[in-house]
Amino acid sequence: MSSNIGVELKGGMYTFMSLKLHTSDMHVIDERLADKVQQAPGFFKNTPVVIDFTLIEDQNDLVDAHKLLECIRQHQLVPIVASISDKSSPLAQSIAIPLIDGGARRANVEKSISEDLTAATLTSSATSEITPDVNLALSREIEYVVKAPLLIDKPVRSGQQVYARDTDLIVMGQIGPGAEVIADNNIHIYGPLRGRALCGVSGNTNTRIFCQSLEAELVSVAGNYRMLETIPEELRGKPAQIWLDEDRLNIEPL
Amino acid sequence: MTKTIVVTSGKGGVGKTTTSASIATGLAKRGFKTVVIDFDVGLRNLDLIMGCERRVVYDLVNLVNQEASLHQTLIKDKRIDNLYILPASQTRDKDALTIEGIARVMHKLKKSKFDYIICDSPAGIEKGAKMALYFADEAIVTTNPEVSSVRDSDRILGILQSESKRSKMNEEPVKEHLLITRYNPTRVKDGQMLSVDDIVDLLAIPLLGIIPESPSVLDSSNAGKPVILDDESEAGQAYSDAIDRLLGESKPHRFMEAPKKGFLSRLFG
Repeated sequence: MSSNIGVELKGGMYTFMSLKLHTSDMHVIDERLADKVQQAPGFFKNTPVVIDFTLIEDQNDLVDAHKLLECIRQHQLVPIVASISDKSSPLAQSIAIPLIDGGARRANVEKSISEDLTAATLTSSATSEITPDVNLALSREIEYVVKAPLLIDKPVRSGQQVYARDTDLIVMGQIGPGAEVIADNNIHIYGPLRGRALCGVSGNTNTRIFCQSLEAELVSVAGNYRMLETIPEELRGKPAQIWLDEDRLNIEPL
Repeated sequence: MTKTIVVTSGKGGVGKTTTSASIATGLAKRGFKTVVIDFDVGLRNLDLIMGCERRVVYDLVNLVNQEASLHQTLIKDKRIDNLYILPASQTRDKDALTIEGIARVMHKLKKSKFDYIICDSPAGIEKGAKMALYFADEAIVTTNPEVSSVRDSDRILGILQSESKRSKMNEEPVKEHLLITRYNPTRVKDGQMLSVDDIVDLLAIPLLGIIPESPSVLDSSNAGKPVILDDESEAGQAYSDAIDRLLGESKPHRFMEAPKKGFLSRLFG
């Protein structure tokens, strides 16, 4: 039982802010960091950051890793890991924090993601004001990580509640009357929806509900809901999708 | 191997006790050593339907509290060999039951080489019902052809999936059977009752049997004789079919069609 496990070693995915160094010039870094931190001191205070050396690592001899990390720490950021492609270089040796693979492999992943998604969704507010010519960028990796959807392979019964936190919900069966399925993202139901379905519950208005047979007691997208009585008769019992169009809940046949 | 089957429904008055009595009797009649346990502590009924109410000395609560032995508590049926009844207490309530206590009883029954333990669940979704289903390997969900009964059955199926021992221990899930009782094909045809297809569609579990509404059920209850022993009645035959299916035989479902009215009854009916 859980009480006598003591410790548990597990793999996990966490999101961190990464600090990408575009220059080895300490003064520029110092100045730009001061600017950034000053914009939102509370936000950056004691924030763990991944330091990305990949853009400046070929200037090996010009970089003083020790001073650089000191400088970053003075701005109250906490460097925890350095991302670097050549872990055996003299620069890598001089970095006094753990190293992870940067460079080619990682760059490919980031490239493909940034091609898929628009830049606006990838950068947090902290980076949105940075002009393209600045040589230092802070980027949040948070949106890079897509959590796997929650898959339920049996019916959700009356009185049961299923919540897919931060992700999509897929149900391979019916949602019984009086059952409730909830997701922060989309809801896909491969069966009749007879209970309640609420998507985008933490405010994502860009989410949808899909079901094979719409017989729901209630559907809701980001807090905008409709009861069965207000669902047009001709859509009941049909495959349908529910989505939000500027505060108006749309129900359309699939 | 002992198999534990709970007869449950959520809703009251749908025929759980009638079903428990007939299923237990049917299994015993086919030679399996069977015990039927009344979990409805405080509202004891099974003993009446089984016709052994005058022979109750000790009850389930005594056994759980280790105040009586299994041998003292079990009532042997007078009609069928291999059939035993474990009555509920009428003077106590459901709080008298504990999982540990029930586990001890189940263990003793298994040691006594019972083939089947039939647990007659009380109505509701509270402690008594949860105790009755906790140790189940299989469940017979008893449903009447009406919306409220079907919804309650859906609810109890959810509880079976989350609160049974099998679900808590991450074992193979409880095997679910749907038994539709008080089915009246004429009223279904008139749209006053849900049809078999509707109910199966709503609950999405395999159908074990359809017990037609029949006066013989009440007559048998009053006589203290499980209706399955009444070979003449449709309800008795339908329970008999259900036993065959429970044991793995495939049999076509009967008693689903409204009886065709003859010329005379149409004239005078």
